[in-house]
Amino acid sequence: MTTRVVGGATLAPPTAASGGRISSLRRFAPFIPAGLILVGLFFVPLAVMLVFSFWSTGANLDVIPVWTLENYANFFENTTYVRTLFKTLVIGAGVTLVSLVGAFAVAYFLARYVSRRWARVALLIIIVPFWTSYLLRVYSWQAILGERGALNQVLMGLGLISEPSRLFVYNDIGTFIVLTYVYLPFAALVLYASLERFDFTQLTAAQDLGARPHQAFRHVLLPQIRPGLITAAIFVFIPILGEFLTPSMVGGAGGLLIANLVANFFKNALIPEGAAVGFMIAAFVLVLLIAFRRYLRVEDVYARG
Amino acid sequence: MSTPVASVDPLETMPVSPYAGVTRWTLRLWFAALVAFLYLPIAFMIIFSFDEGATPGLPITGFTLRWYDEMLGNRQLLRALANSVTVAAVVAVLSTIIGTMAAFVLVRGGIRYPSVTRIAFTLPIMVPGVLIGVSLLIFFARAADIPLSLATVTAGQLVVTVPFVLLIVASRLQGFDRRLEWAAADLGATPRQTIRHIVLPLIAPAILAGALISVTLSIDEFVITWFTVGNQPTLPTYIYTRVKFGVTPEVNAVATVMLVATLLIFAIATVALGRARRWSRRARLAPRA
Repeated sequence: MTTRVVGGATLAPPTAASGGRISSLRRFAPFIPAGLILVGLFFVPLAVMLVFSFWSTGANLDVIPVWTLENYANFFENTTYVRTLFKTLVIGAGVTLVSLVGAFAVAYFLARYVSRRWARVALLIIIVPFWTSYLLRVYSWQAILGERGALNQVLMGLGLISEPSRLFVYNDIGTFIVLTYVYLPFAALVLYASLERFDFTQLTAAQDLGARPHQAFRHVLLPQIRPGLITAAIFVFIPILGEFLTPSMVGGAGGLLIANLVANFFKNALIPEGAAVGFMIAAFVLVLLIAFRRYLRVEDVYARG
Repeated sequence: MSTPVASVDPLETMPVSPYAGVTRWTLRLWFAALVAFLYLPIAFMIIFSFDEGATPGLPITGFTLRWYDEMLGNRQLLRALANSVTVAAVVAVLSTIIGTMAAFVLVRGGIRYPSVTRIAFTLPIMVPGVLIGVSLLIFFARAADIPLSLATVTAGQLVVTVPFVLLIVASRLQGFDRRLEWAAADLGATPRQTIRHIVLPLIAPAILAGALISVTLSIDEFVITWFTVGNQPTLPTYIYTRVKFGVTPEVNAVATVMLVATLLIFAIATVALGRARRWSRRARLAPRA
């Protein structure tokens, strides 16, 4: 910030230069379109979804405004649905863990051993795929993991398997691999941002004072990058709760996640049923986001790209 | 140890762990493996777009440009592309204007609860698109009785792009020295001149970044679009229905073209952002002539 003192006088805001005080409504006016979009196209539809989730589906798939808890009760009575929900949480946690560890190693390497200039180039290399079409990247994984895919060809070529395996695609393994692929770059970006600010000589100092390397790592490094770790975890875990495309492309019938249930309900025009599941995810996500609101540094993650 | 202590950086005499070299090499290999992992699908996409086989897969059977030819002859695909470009243009212009205006109000005290507002605008970015998509579908189709069309797609995408622009521009405005504006006013600039010559150049990089993110998000947006689209598909929804219901090698050609286009936009953006930053710096440090 440049402090510029002009002719010995400090600058003060000009007092109502051209006619009258600006009314607070006029100051608020430029905000109105954005506010309308947020309220009218985000909060109101979520509220409508909540209301619909307490209504029921009629005989010819119309929505009958009769209040009921059936949609929620049915969900929890259906073991397939509950298992899908549980599986989504497990896969989400697993992908988050793998992404954090994998991304941390890369971020640590770039922050500690690579000059800042080259670290930026390396980060750019990591981010570029992220800006290409998400749909097409997931699609091209089919060509790698699929039955005629490259992975099978390589394994057969090495003599490890004798015939094409469906081990990697149209199941949870395929979903897991591709989700890690999609979200790991996010984690790398966030973790690099926090490691970049870390002074690595502190580790040396800790060891100088008698700490073992792992102690220095645990008691000096980890506490300082904890906010970054939490941000990264949120940026990986929450989107997975709503992942619908990846499971539908590489997950097959066995690898579906909770958001696919929502999509399927809607495809079959079972609106209240879908709304109930959708609202449960939304409520869970909103609670997480509000609980961790201090860590939602969206500008940091995206504006770097 | 007879070296004078003062001339040696104490860090250089620190004992180095015998594992330091190994650690470093392991990390280096890990980085290389990760980059390979990230680029593997993209590489296959490009290779298969030139492969003769009608079902993409190894081994490669031969080189052909047939899929590119088919892509150019595919009317539906070209129309979907045109829809996507139209939507992206509208979304980018609207979200840049709306988001920037709101950012000014947010940062400059036009709002009672700025931190709550900021969190509220973070939610649409963080809440999974499928929830925004289905709730909009219920809202448009069942509650408000609005027919699905490219207009509803545009509205759905604005839910995400406006907050992006708002947050990016707001974070730039936050670190903005308002005394520059007051100085301009003090020196006789009209409010319009102040905005044109002081404010806009200073926040130009943020506005440009917001606009670029809007364009990229919009072109690529699948999930919200999938639920709000009528009978005019955008490129991603068209491709999705194609790959979901049949093998379509020309999709790889489309993907390759889109990849090249994205990289071009990226390159142009980098140059433009560099320019905007220089413009911004010049406005800040301009000789008082």
